[in-house]
Amino acid sequence: MAPPPPPTGMLELLEQLDVLEKSANLSASIHDVQSVIDLLTAARDKVAADPQTAPLTLAKLQDPVKRSLEQAQKDIKPIYSGLNKYGKALDKKFKDKPIPPASNDALSSHPRLVNRAISMHLLREGEFSVASTFIQEAHRHPPRPEPTASTPNPSMNDSREADLAEESFNSEKLQGQFREMYLILHELRQERNLEPAIRWARQRSDLLEARGSNLEFELCRLQFVCLFVGHGLVADDDEPMEEDPQGPLEAYKYARREFGHFRGRYAHEIQQLIGAMAYWQNVVDSPYRRYFYNNTAWEEVATSFTREFCSLLGLSADSPLYIAATAGAIALPHLLKLQNIMEKTRTEWTTQNELPVEIPLPPTYHFHSIFVCPVSKEQSTDANPPMMMPCGHVIAQESLDRISKGTRFKCPYCPMESHPRDARKVRL
Amino acid sequence: MAELTTTKLNAESHLLLDQPLLRMPHELSRRNQKNAQRYVENSTKDVLSSLTAAAKTASKRPTPDAALSSLDSIITKMQGLKRKLENLHDEEMRIHKSNRARLRHLQDLYEVQSLVDVKYDEWSRTRLSRLLVDYLLREGYSESAAHLAASQGIQELVDVDAFVACHKIEKSLREERNTSLALNWCKENSKELKKQGSMLEFELRLQQYIELVRQGHQAGVGDVDTDMDGLNGVSLDGASTGAGEEKLVEARAHAKKYLSASGDFALLGKAAGLLAYRPWDDVKPYSELYSESRWTHLAHLFLTTHHTLYSLPPRPLLHIALSAGLSALKTPACHSAYTAPTTMPLTSSSNCITSTSVCPICSTELNELARNVPYAHHSKSLVESDPVVLPNGRVYGKERLRVFCDKVGVEPGWVRDPVEGLGGMKWRENEVRKVFIM
Ligand SMILES: [Zn+2]
Ligand SMILES: [Zn+2]
Repeated sequence: MAPPPPPTGMLELLEQLDVLEKSANLSASIHDVQSVIDLLTAARDKVAADPQTAPLTLAKLQDPVKRSLEQAQKDIKPIYSGLNKYGKALDKKFKDKPIPPASNDALSSHPRLVNRAISMHLLREGEFSVASTFIQEAHRHPPRPEPTASTPNPSMNDSREADLAEESFNSEKLQGQFREMYLILHELRQERNLEPAIRWARQRSDLLEARGSNLEFELCRLQFVCLFVGHGLVADDDEPMEEDPQGPLEAYKYARREFGHFRGRYAHEIQQLIGAMAYWQNVVDSPYRRYFYNNTAWEEVATSFTREFCSLLGLSADSPLYIAATAGAIALPHLLKLQNIMEKTRTEWTTQNELPVEIPLPPTYHFHSIFVCPVSKEQSTDANPPMMMPCGHVIAQESLDRISKGTRFKCPYCPMESHPRDARKVRL
Repeated sequence: MAELTTTKLNAESHLLLDQPLLRMPHELSRRNQKNAQRYVENSTKDVLSSLTAAAKTASKRPTPDAALSSLDSIITKMQGLKRKLENLHDEEMRIHKSNRARLRHLQDLYEVQSLVDVKYDEWSRTRLSRLLVDYLLREGYSESAAHLAASQGIQELVDVDAFVACHKIEKSLREERNTSLALNWCKENSKELKKQGSMLEFELRLQQYIELVRQGHQAGVGDVDTDMDGLNGVSLDGASTGAGEEKLVEARAHAKKYLSASGDFALLGKAAGLLAYRPWDDVKPYSELYSESRWTHLAHLFLTTHHTLYSLPPRPLLHIALSAGLSALKTPACHSAYTAPTTMPLTSSSNCITSTSVCPICSTELNELARNVPYAHHSKSLVESDPVVLPNGRVYGKERLRVFCDKVGVEPGWVRDPVEGLGGMKWRENEVRKVFIM
């Protein structure tokens, strides 16, 4: 018979934990101790009833008590061996997954900035009460910076970082802003109430429009749909929308009242919405179905709203702490491999200017365009920006200087010749 | 060439941050088992000898009362043992339950294959909460830690109690300058500490000695009005019996009992020298021993010893994760003087092509923190498809530029820079040119 395949993941550890929970635990020893107590109590009763039996009873008690107590000790042994076995399996499981060494830590030297990032994270996640506990606690016990490879003297910039952190860390303003965001999100998600979000967007329509955001229109369109179907609730997954004869009329009035200033930018979309009114009795079978039977509509506007709200505050839409910690966990296996190589050269990756290896991340983790000079293979920086030659090809400033030596030169990628002064700096 | 992006999740190599999650309950279980064994062994010895003694007494001078009272006391002892074992049993089952939750949590990751699966997203959020609670506990913010753990419902995945106990001892050293809690802890863990070759207990005993000598010298100031002999109140014949003198004698006895066995003669010489130099004499190397900073050193040493004993990493795992993440995400643009205020994920789906969101490293939370870490390495340019350049030098994907201009309502034949929005310059479409990025 072939041996069963080795359990994957944590299953082997779970199996051993089963043994500890079900049998290899202290209940047996407790039982043994209870039997000693029973023996002793019985003996006591006997002596109390007939004092003459005391010497004999006590003498006869020795052996059984001893046996039970030895049994109690013996019954602890399976716990010991069970834990040992579990420990060995644990060692095996993590043998190739060592805990990254402390030299990988670049942040202990900036504890105030870490605390600020955490408090902002808690606020943006809606953990207001935890955030306020934390802000108070951190205020009572300011953190102590520890040296790291890249910042061996952290106390030097601690006071500057304290000021920087103080700005937003203790800021009632930020707290108020996130509270407002959560209130509006709550109304959207739980109450299916668009009013507060529409009010917020309308007050900032200039800023939003300049960003090319269509949040306000998205919100109003959803409001129109809600009125059209006659109630505030767009259908849940299991419950199809019911049409209310009054609905289309209400929606029409709403469109006349509110859509006026969307005419220029959203003429096409509005036309489609109004077109749907012809099908008011059976919108499900109409070509406008997709505007109405959209169960994710509420989640979509909530996401758009969060993104715009945070962007106007200069903050990223998802928690940077979350994105960075996740990216870090994805990067660590790669950095660990690197660590083994770098140990030989006695350098730490945390002290370099640029990571020596490429870390593959999911595409959603790329936020900036990247320019890598095709000649030097270096990334562009402020000091070495990308330069576009008249032919439209782009190379880095330093490469341009090196190739041209200040005089007319041929583009490395096409036959066109040009003078370096004709190259233009571009920004990605 | 190495791949540039990936969405593949390999749980087996992904769990670098998670070993301590399982180490702590295992260590706690082992400690629990050892305590149980100790209790049972001690009680066995005790009860058997009491029983033998009682039997002997009963056979010699049979007084029923004596027999009853010795039986009663043995029963009380056994009931005490049973209670202790029951408490340890509750504790072991509590630890197992929490360990099961942790194993299940890690097992969940094995069920996910892709980094872009929402299940991974959820899992990673739980991991972040864990790392945050761990960080808060390490930094001594235990109230916040407990609050966050409860709010996220992850109490079984974090070790609030263990850290609270640890910080109580650390604080007793750092702030209260008291060695008794720490010495107690050393006693409870003496076997493991010996195996580790830990110097903690010795250092604590040394500190006790230093404090006795300090008190002796301070009290000695009152004992002797003039200190002409230069012996600082230490009389050589032992005739004087001032309070200061008594303390110094006590110190010597303490040193003999706890320090001399160490065999560190240089240190012992220094310690003996303390008797001759007072704290305010400010003579090296004795002033170092008298220094207040020794308490900070002791607090530190305790934490290191504690963390090693429980297989906890020396620095918070949050720092390790974030340090790596900041570098993996950082680009030269994140601290550039010219960076556009808004950026966007390059692979935004077409329906939200114009919606921009701020890069996490450019965002206030992390920007300053990321200043000192290396930026990510890239071997290839990463730009939107069909890039075009505006007269101001900004490069955009042709499609994104078109959609943006449609959305904000730029007149046909004209374009605007999305970064500058409606407030900025406007150019004719024919001024926009193609750019080749290789
Ligand atoms: Zn060219
Ligand atoms: Zn950035």
